Amino acid sequence: MIRFLFKGLIRDRNRSLLPFLVTAIGVMLTVVFHAWITGVINNSIEFSARFSSGHVKIMTQAYADNAAQTPNDLAIIGTDTLLEAVSAAYPEMDFASRIYFAGLIDVPDSTGETRAQGPAIGIAIDLLSGNNEEKERMNIPSSLRRGRLPATGKEALLSDEFAGKLGISPGETFTLVGTSMLGELTMYNFILSGTVDFGTTALDRGTLIADLSDVREALNMADAAGEVLGFFKSGVYAEEEAIEISERFNARYFSEDDEFSPVMKTLSMQNNMGFLVEYSGKLQNILIAVFILAMSLILWNAGLLGGLRRYGEFGMRLAIGEEKSHVYKTMLLESLIIGFFASVTGLAFGMLIAFYLQEKGVDLGMMMKNASIMMPRVFRAQITPWTWVAGFIPGFLSTQIGTMLAGAGIYKRQTAQLFKELES
Amino acid sequence: MLALKLALRNLLGAGLRTWLNVIVLSFSFIIIIWTKGLLAGWDRQARNDMIEWEVGQGQYWQSNYDPYDPFTLNESHETLPESYRSAAEANLLVPVLITQGSIYPQGRMQPVLIKGIPPEQQLLKLPTGLLSSDDGDIPGILGKSMAESTGLSEGDYVTVRWRDRNGTFDATEVRIAGIFETTVPSVDVGQVWLALEDLQKMMLMPGEATILVRGSNAVALPADEAWVVKEQKELLSDIENIIKAKGMIGVIIWGILLMMAMLAVFDTQVLSIFRRQKEIGTYIALGMTRRQVVGLFTTEGAMHSVLAALVGALYGIPLLTMQALRGVAIPVSSSDFGIAMAERLYPVYSLSLIVGTVLIVMIVTTIVSYWPSRKIAKLNPTEALRGRMQ
Amino acid sequence: MKKLITILLLTCSLMTVSAQYPDGKQLLERIDRNMSSENRIFTSSMIIYGRRTTHTVKMKTWTAGEKKSFTEYLFPAREQGTKMLKLEEQLWIYSPSTDRIIQIAGHMLRQSVMGSDLSYEDLMEDNRLEGQYDAKVTGTEVIDGNQCWVVELKAVVPEIAYQGMKLWVDQERNIPLREEMYAKGGTLLKRTELSDVQRIGNRWYPRKILFRDMLRDGKGTEFLIEDIEFNVQIPEHIFSKASLKK
Repeated sequence: MIRFLFKGLIRDRNRSLLPFLVTAIGVMLTVVFHAWITGVINNSIEFSARFSSGHVKIMTQAYADNAAQTPNDLAIIGTDTLLEAVSAAYPEMDFASRIYFAGLIDVPDSTGETRAQGPAIGIAIDLLSGNNEEKERMNIPSSLRRGRLPATGKEALLSDEFAGKLGISPGETFTLVGTSMLGELTMYNFILSGTVDFGTTALDRGTLIADLSDVREALNMADAAGEVLGFFKSGVYAEEEAIEISERFNARYFSEDDEFSPVMKTLSMQNNMGFLVEYSGKLQNILIAVFILAMSLILWNAGLLGGLRRYGEFGMRLAIGEEKSHVYKTMLLESLIIGFFASVTGLAFGMLIAFYLQEKGVDLGMMMKNASIMMPRVFRAQITPWTWVAGFIPGFLSTQIGTMLAGAGIYKRQTAQLFKELES
Repeated sequence: MLALKLALRNLLGAGLRTWLNVIVLSFSFIIIIWTKGLLAGWDRQARNDMIEWEVGQGQYWQSNYDPYDPFTLNESHETLPESYRSAAEANLLVPVLITQGSIYPQGRMQPVLIKGIPPEQQLLKLPTGLLSSDDGDIPGILGKSMAESTGLSEGDYVTVRWRDRNGTFDATEVRIAGIFETTVPSVDVGQVWLALEDLQKMMLMPGEATILVRGSNAVALPADEAWVVKEQKELLSDIENIIKAKGMIGVIIWGILLMMAMLAVFDTQVLSIFRRQKEIGTYIALGMTRRQVVGLFTTEGAMHSVLAALVGALYGIPLLTMQALRGVAIPVSSSDFGIAMAERLYPVYSLSLIVGTVLIVMIVTTIVSYWPSRKIAKLNPTEALRGRMQ
Repeated sequence: MKKLITILLLTCSLMTVSAQYPDGKQLLERIDRNMSSENRIFTSSMIIYGRRTTHTVKMKTWTAGEKKSFTEYLFPAREQGTKMLKLEEQLWIYSPSTDRIIQIAGHMLRQSVMGSDLSYEDLMEDNRLEGQYDAKVTGTEVIDGNQCWVVELKAVVPEIAYQGMKLWVDQERNIPLREEMYAKGGTLLKRTELSDVQRIGNRWYPRKILFRDMLRDGKGTEFLIEDIEFNVQIPEHIFSKASLKK
């Protein structure tokens, strides 16, 4: 039976092609839309996560209380052991140590005396271990303006505008004057390897990005870090898991009496992020629901149209003695076949596009002046398990409903009338 | 005219099929207008907030002042020129003195900017009225996020330490007279606001200021070497860039929505032409040119968008109006990075936005309606009349 | 009426008592004779009690007058060879690891020295009292068994860090055993406790000084003089930027 219908569908392209195409394109659009909305909405959360909050963040309790000032005298000591322990205990996450600090950048003249000086915000991340995750998280490679990324120790990046103001070019040396963990004044030489754009004035005016190991040495913070950030390997913030992990962590490590005991905070516990997480979910759901509703209507219509197209044929079939219910059943079955294959095709193409948008992203750079760290110009879609479901609902169910409604006409109309439609 | 009427009648005759399309198209309208309105609302809100809280209609900066370099603060204060002072007295110009100091909440030192502003000023939204005091103490106001990070609340006293222009240490207790909520982090984070006169006295800088905020109806002041003009546009450029970037993300969403609408209309059109060949033949037999018939079918298709605009208006106007009046709750996500973002956004639907969206959807619908209709031109009228498929 | 008489009597008695107090100016001169010198070379340790750890920094300092000073850090290893030169209102720091001389200016001067309760600015303040302050003895108190004059100081020059000070001066040895620095508005900002007073040559000098920033929580910073020589000849080239790199 199914084989018979299948043959019919393939041989009579009138019957199958348009409904197939419409359904497939519809499903494809839904999948892409879902992935894109999910991606860009999570982008803003993800952005904060990557730049400052992590999906979870470990700090000492005392540091957390004054987190706005990034007080490195209250940093976590023994991060290597901690990092090892948490990586083993929470294999679903990647962890990375960071140090945020403040200092002074001093550029020497030919005699080694101060030529130019300016205050800077410093960010120390893992740049040199060969693991590219942190670089990518901070969107550093694509924000590079001049020179190259640090390749060996003692190399660092400055914000482009800042470097310009100080009159320093890649290859030249500058000194970071900072405050060590103990409060000592420290000095450390870096070679400027390149410059980056941030896209917001505050950071463009004075930011240093250097490798963690250099900054540890510079600030006398061996085996210490202000913050340890955790990121889900899936790349997506999951509120419940994050809370669960932080509860497990805090039960194990955190102690009321020791202000230097580490405490883990989830993204939503930091700043106003909790609201953002909740709100983004809502906005995303509204947009996706409306879109799926609309797409369902289209595909319903497509099913309706597909049925109408064939009223003449049905008249003929009824005339030669086929039961109405049989005609109806075969029609539903046919649309089931079309719906299935079209949905699979649409899903495949949609996923392909969504995957491309997820991996490569859309470079909206041509519409913007410059790429920068704070304003990434590549926007990415994000495929979640729900993307698959979202594609199937309108693709499959709606075409069926449409066909069912259109098919109902068979019962309503007289065979003669249907037959007449064959002529028209 | 006849074509229009005919097209409308044909369209309405199709019943459910037409309405499904119309509803889909109206969704596209509404979502596009809503999201664009939201962005426009954000843009307006952010600019307004920046203008109302900080930027005014532009500023004058003492020539050494650089907000990103605290080193400059020691040298960036200046007595106002005569003409400026009279403008300040007329409340056309708000002088703000900015200096450095430390506060000691809970026994921990925290460097802050101390900003002095006249309590009687009306140009900026800061609740500076709270800064007037008769009983000799020094009232100060803080933004909410500063209050949170220092653990200070209204009525608390906090020790503020600074060095006056001679370098002499001084310290006093400042009474927190009020905590204000603002969307503009640059008047909140890491700073304490005092009355201008208090700060001038503390610093031994009578009559001096660091920046001057221009009021909306400020008269043009004579150029002065010591004061650099900062136009409003320049001071708002950060926020403009961010909003532009957000708009880019929307482009893809709008594109997908338009494609969806096209899909709906296209499918309907193809079926219409397929099923109504006899009708087409009749039209031609009655003397309509093929182009006229193509026109009729295109009009029918395009009319979907007209109906959609009407249907969209039916539920969209109350919905969008409600949103515009009540606002949409929005999280403060960007405040850490120095960008103003309100907790509640009021979408703004400009006429150009609505008309533009309607036009774009109509044009796109017309194109997709026309595309399958071209086939009609190739129909053999006699065959078509007989209903033969071709 | 009765009250008024009491107050009058009290005031009179106070006045008669004050007549027995030494003259403020002379007292300051006597203090300066002990505490300040034309030039000196000393080795000291600074014990910094932090919120988390306690650490020690050792240094050797050469000073000439009030305007010139040169310091070399001896301990810990990390700081060894770091040198600091102060001339007039300027401060340069040399670190051997970077081989750079950096001028410290602006708000970096307000950073604490090696995490202590002293800022670079504090180090740069002129510490001679005579001529800068008007002194008035206001009473007596006993500190650690030593009879002290309580002296209130008010700045007479405008450009000075602390407008008000209060000293507890050992009546016998003419050396302050406690100093309090006040903000212009009267808030107590810093307190130093001087102890372990020893005879060095023809003067008394405290070998141990405890600094406390009174606005901040914490146990403060201890300053121990291990070795000090007064009025020795210091070659002028010490106080040059060239010597930073040596």
